[in-house]
Amino acid sequence: MATTAAPAPAHAAAYATGEATGLWSWLATVDHKRIGTLYLWTALFFFLVGGIEAAIMRAQLMGPNGQVVSAEMFNQLFTMHGTTMVFLVIMPLSAAFFNYLIPLQIGARDVAFPRLNAFSYWVYLFGGLFMTVPIFFKVAPDGGWFGYAPLTTMQFSGGLNIDFWVLGLQILGVSSLAAAFNFITTIINMRAPGMSLMRMPIFTWMSFVVQFLLVLAFPAITVALFFLQFDRFFGTQFYEIAAGADPLLWQHLFWVFGHPEVYILILPAFGLASEILPTFSKKPLFGYNVMVYSGIMIGFLGFGVWAHHMFAVGMGATADTIFSMATMLIGIPTGVKIFNWIATMWGGQIRFTVAMKFAIALVALFTIGGISGVMHSSPPTDLQQTDTYFIVAHFHYVLFGGSIMGIMGGIYFYFPKMTGRYLSEKLGNLHFWLFFIGMNMTFFPMHYSGMLGMPRRIYTYDIGQGWENFNWWSTIGVIFQFAGALVFMYNFFKSRSSGEKAPNDAWGAGTLEWSIPSPPPDYNFAQLPVVTSRYPLWDLKHPEMTADLAHSGPDAMTITDSHAVPMHEETEYKTAKELGIPMPFPTIKPLFAALFMVMMVGGLVFVHAISMPFAIGAMIVSGSLFIGTLYGWLTSPLE
Amino acid sequence: MNRSPHRRLASAFVIAVAALALAACGAQKDLPNSTFLHNSEVNTDIIALWDRILFMGTLVFVFVEVLLIVTIFKFRAKPGAPMPKQIHGNHTLEIVWTLIPVLILIPIAVPTVKTIFKTQAPAPAGALQVEVYGHQWWWEFRYPELGVVTANELYLPAGKTVNFTLRTVDVIHSFWTPQLAGKRDLISNKTNHMWYTPDAKLTEGVFNGFCTEYCGASHANMRFRVYTTTPENFDSWVNAQKGAAAGSPVALAAQAAADSAARRTPQRAAVLPIPAPAPVASGYVFPAEKMPAHTVPRTPIPASIQFNDGLLAQGDAKRGHDLITNMANLGKAPCLTCHVIKGEQALVSDDVAKGPNLTHVGTRHTFAGGLFPTTPQNLARWIKNAPSMKPGAIMNVFGQGEYSPMMKANVTAGLSDAEIADIVAYLLSLK
Repeated sequence: MATTAAPAPAHAAAYATGEATGLWSWLATVDHKRIGTLYLWTALFFFLVGGIEAAIMRAQLMGPNGQVVSAEMFNQLFTMHGTTMVFLVIMPLSAAFFNYLIPLQIGARDVAFPRLNAFSYWVYLFGGLFMTVPIFFKVAPDGGWFGYAPLTTMQFSGGLNIDFWVLGLQILGVSSLAAAFNFITTIINMRAPGMSLMRMPIFTWMSFVVQFLLVLAFPAITVALFFLQFDRFFGTQFYEIAAGADPLLWQHLFWVFGHPEVYILILPAFGLASEILPTFSKKPLFGYNVMVYSGIMIGFLGFGVWAHHMFAVGMGATADTIFSMATMLIGIPTGVKIFNWIATMWGGQIRFTVAMKFAIALVALFTIGGISGVMHSSPPTDLQQTDTYFIVAHFHYVLFGGSIMGIMGGIYFYFPKMTGRYLSEKLGNLHFWLFFIGMNMTFFPMHYSGMLGMPRRIYTYDIGQGWENFNWWSTIGVIFQFAGALVFMYNFFKSRSSGEKAPNDAWGAGTLEWSIPSPPPDYNFAQLPVVTSRYPLWDLKHPEMTADLAHSGPDAMTITDSHAVPMHEETEYKTAKELGIPMPFPTIKPLFAALFMVMMVGGLVFVHAISMPFAIGAMIVSGSLFIGTLYGWLTSPLE
Repeated sequence: MNRSPHRRLASAFVIAVAALALAACGAQKDLPNSTFLHNSEVNTDIIALWDRILFMGTLVFVFVEVLLIVTIFKFRAKPGAPMPKQIHGNHTLEIVWTLIPVLILIPIAVPTVKTIFKTQAPAPAGALQVEVYGHQWWWEFRYPELGVVTANELYLPAGKTVNFTLRTVDVIHSFWTPQLAGKRDLISNKTNHMWYTPDAKLTEGVFNGFCTEYCGASHANMRFRVYTTTPENFDSWVNAQKGAAAGSPVALAAQAAADSAARRTPQRAAVLPIPAPAPVASGYVFPAEKMPAHTVPRTPIPASIQFNDGLLAQGDAKRGHDLITNMANLGKAPCLTCHVIKGEQALVSDDVAKGPNLTHVGTRHTFAGGLFPTTPQNLARWIKNAPSMKPGAIMNVFGQGEYSPMMKANVTAGLSDAEIADIVAYLLSLK
């Protein structure tokens, strides 16, 4: 492991990569910061793709009987918009922060398994392309992001569309699971001396909860997808209605995954907001313990509410009641978080940076999504709301108003750490207001169109149904959002090279990642810090801020590790070689392992595209290459 | 930081929100598919529950957002201000705001549970039984006790409880009439139920219905109409609908038998049993002129389908009937391999028919999943090239020379426009 002090390094090459540039340095990187950066770029690219898909749909629905795209194309667009935004945008944007921040926040030099980390990223990239590219050939998945059987079985969807979806999700599941185990191991084993669990930064805590949600939720959809995959390719009958299948099997399995997935999408953004709000209020997070417990509570309860997506399927009054009550319970820990955030700002000195505005917007907008969530936790009212635009409004307030706002805040907040330069605040403000106004203009009217009878997932609607005004506003709002996205892109590219230079501690924050240079050296910490509180950097720089912090307790100032040195701010920039810190070798093997694995799984498409023997041949070839690459990977030294 | 541009943006946003609210109010007078109408007891229960949740939700919304706005204005950084007091938490406060959501949720939870059990209880005895079958992408409605099978248009007697039995023949659909009740899914290999009572005041109501579970290419085109009328009108409608198709051998035979019976013993007609099946009776049909604009479909017809509308006036129902039952160039009776026309030869039963029952198609105001008004022009184009009017429609392309997406070729053995005009005349005669 990179964190253990090692004797004189045997491999000089190990030092050569840290500051290297060029394509190779990115393809072969195993540095968690570079991988985090790759996740960020890739996910932002897919954000643009998903946004364009949404914009085309909104153009189609701007007025009644729209003629912009065909029904078939619209169905592919809404399927891919949902799939893209969930699996290729918000999850990987969160993963970008997991990668970049978790080791920095816990005072580690890398993640536990750097090469597995690279593998996760490449699997995500190739899997994402595998699902996205077919839309250019009009064979993109068209069964909805929820892929309800039996519509997705061969009987009703005979084309390649659903094949890409089933296999693509399986591929992305590998990426998510590998990353989740990696981060769980990292957080449990690699925290700096003195960093007890209850001293971890709140973002790392929320990430920790999310990794467990991933590990526990993904198997459910993996099983569901395997059934579907076997039905489609090998003639099993899990969802074949002619053979007497009960299609509710799919719905239960999907939502056992799908509901925790909602918290997988929102908790990282909660974590980012919980870092931003204290920093710009100059106050510690209010009720840290309760924030941790409520995050765990949300994650736990999230597994007991899946059937609230299914109130219309006729589960019976008893089941409806149980799932309704469980759903309402989630409102409690969520409400606590909202109040704690406000209490964090209360009495502070609030600086309205762009990051802070995004974080405040998260609190304001997520509240709206939470309230509409309670509205359909009640099954009788849900029967008038489910599968209408009211639901579309609800979850966009949660996922755009919550996740995206939090993540955007995180990007403005951590950009200086990643690049050493600030994003322009001026452009950032423009971006924020365009997003904030556009988002509300698009999604708020959907509450109305839904309650006035507009179903979801329709590519067209007739004249005079009472929905025209609302749909017109929704589409106009997209223009604002797109303008915001363009401003952000310009800001992002421009500020990388010519933004205002940022010091180590760009914002006066309190956690470890701000104690090292920006951008951080490849080894992160020249000396591993010793942590004695939740805001070690404030201890160091503003002892008056933390004077009343409970520094007593059993583990305060009792670090006896001989390697440990007291917390300090690192200002000198030395290479790993100068410091004698061994770094993992760069290696291209995870990239090829990911590529061959994606080819192996994706090769199943040939069953329907060409023939079974061809598919088996292709899979054997790519499978052999995959195993060969794995062998090479596992037998080559790490550092 | 210069604050004035932000203020301007903020006020622009407030104005936009206000404009939106006004737009919403402006639309109030015309809400053809609103879920907020007291048209059934179920909907009244739902609205009562909704009102309560909306009230609680508004309280929370106003409280949280006002608190948030006050906080960020009151505590914005002032130059030279001292370091704020460092507070890490407050157990009393945190217990209080854990309890606040509990106190808000209890008054929602209790009526929720009551309403769940009330609305999901078995339907009251004596309810009208209606079977709903979902098809990609149209609706089949059966009245098993009354012997009526129809499609896309549902007639209900006002004031009488209806018990729906919901099934699908293919993928999952969902049955929803927003103005009358919530929705319930139609799930493969499963039978669902729901019931409601259209209010007795709805003696001349028309309501739009929708499929609300994504079901493939034409999910958006799977619509239906619900007509509510007086029990007398409903009985009249049933009486006509259960008979055989006009002009069919069965109907003609029944008519002849009835006529001769009437000629032979006119004075004793009252005591003689009338032989079944009954002759074609003309019954109640919801008056087309009473349909509000939002219930009359205005789906555009693709310009790619050309049809010589001048031929429609020359269409002959008898010739059309002969074509339906015996098309020389298209095999025996291609229409009847997918559609049931009661009284004609039965090549398929209602249980396996791929298309809607057409026995009284001339009494329906809409067709093709409620997508088009039943006009000669629309029907002609539909017969000529259905898939181009409704994405994914499985009805064959019958127009000579038209492109068939299923055959991936142009139709060589098809119908001329004149033949289609005859068939249209026949279909419209099926009152």
